[in-house]
Amino acid sequence: MNAEFQLKLQAYFDGELSAREAREIESILAAHADARALLAELRRTTEVLISHEAEVKLPESREFYWSKIQREIQRQEAGSHSASMPRPSWSRFLMPSGAIVALVLAGWFGAFEMGWLSRGGRSPQIETYLADSGAMTYRDEIERTTVVWLSYPAENEFAHADPADTIR
Amino acid sequence: MTERPAPAPDDQAFVRAAQRGDMVAYEELVARHRDKIYARAYSMMRNEDDAVDLSQEAWVKGWQRLKQFQGESSFATWMTRIVINLCLDQLRRQKRYRAESIEMLDEESGGVERQMPVVTVNPTERLERTELRQRIDQALDQLSETHRMVLVLCEFEELEYKEIAKAMKCSIGTVMSRLFYARRKLAALLADLKKPE
Repeated sequence: MNAEFQLKLQAYFDGELSAREAREIESILAAHADARALLAELRRTTEVLISHEAEVKLPESREFYWSKIQREIQRQEAGSHSASMPRPSWSRFLMPSGAIVALVLAGWFGAFEMGWLSRGGRSPQIETYLADSGAMTYRDEIERTTVVWLSYPAENEFAHADPADTIR
Repeated sequence: MTERPAPAPDDQAFVRAAQRGDMVAYEELVARHRDKIYARAYSMMRNEDDAVDLSQEAWVKGWQRLKQFQGESSFATWMTRIVINLCLDQLRRQKRYRAESIEMLDEESGGVERQMPVVTVNPTERLERTELRQRIDQALDQLSETHRMVLVLCEFEELEYKEIAKAMKCSIGTVMSRLFYARRKLAALLADLKKPE
């Protein structure tokens, strides 16, 4: 039996041949015991396999199995429903303002992260003393450094004091 | 005179109700056919978890496509096609990450199955049914996914070669060759089944 005949014999078993081809195979089967043996093997293998298939049962209870299906159906339907909901006409005005709010928030968050905005007293602080509006201090808590700027001449009551008070 | 119980409504009535959105009717259809759909998924995947997941996914898809079901085939057959396609997709995805099996190389490099001696497969005479089932399971596990798939589509689904070729995206010649290999290998594995004397 060559390979071509073996595949043709299988096609005969599966009912895939034309009437003429089937007759040819039947005449060969009548004359060759090895062809009949192969056909019997194909037939028996199929029988065993099919009888075995009927035994498989789902290992879960009806309620448990169905609950997951139901949840998934409801989840997908909820998703598709919200996606297909028509938007009110005024909603188009929300989109640009929403973008602006998002940008402001992003900028604020970025500034916060970069330390430009106060974070619990640990960031640098700039203070102006009201008593002397010409003086300004800079305090960096992390570096434990304080820098004071003084304008000269100061524009306050002390600017016109006796020069004797001035340290030389 | 005892009154006969009314026959259970057929699938059609439940299908029509489910097509109108009745989920209780669909639950009844699931209850009726869940074992068959699961069995088909299991025969292809050979893994309980995968089979449960894919069969449930098939029921979700079935609900979504229910309006397309025109009744050309039975509802169970229609659902079986859905689960088969899901299994084939899953196996294709898995295969992308795996090398071809040695069996595939055997098949393509000359066809060892064609030289195998013909065997007499008659294990039922000597084995208990449970034991036989276990041994057939083991034999099926030894087939590659591709060979198991072609076997399932031909033996259980009784698809024609051209339908199998379409589902598996290969030629009819390849289907014939794979099917022959799968049957012969299975026959050889089952021929060894002998209960100790």
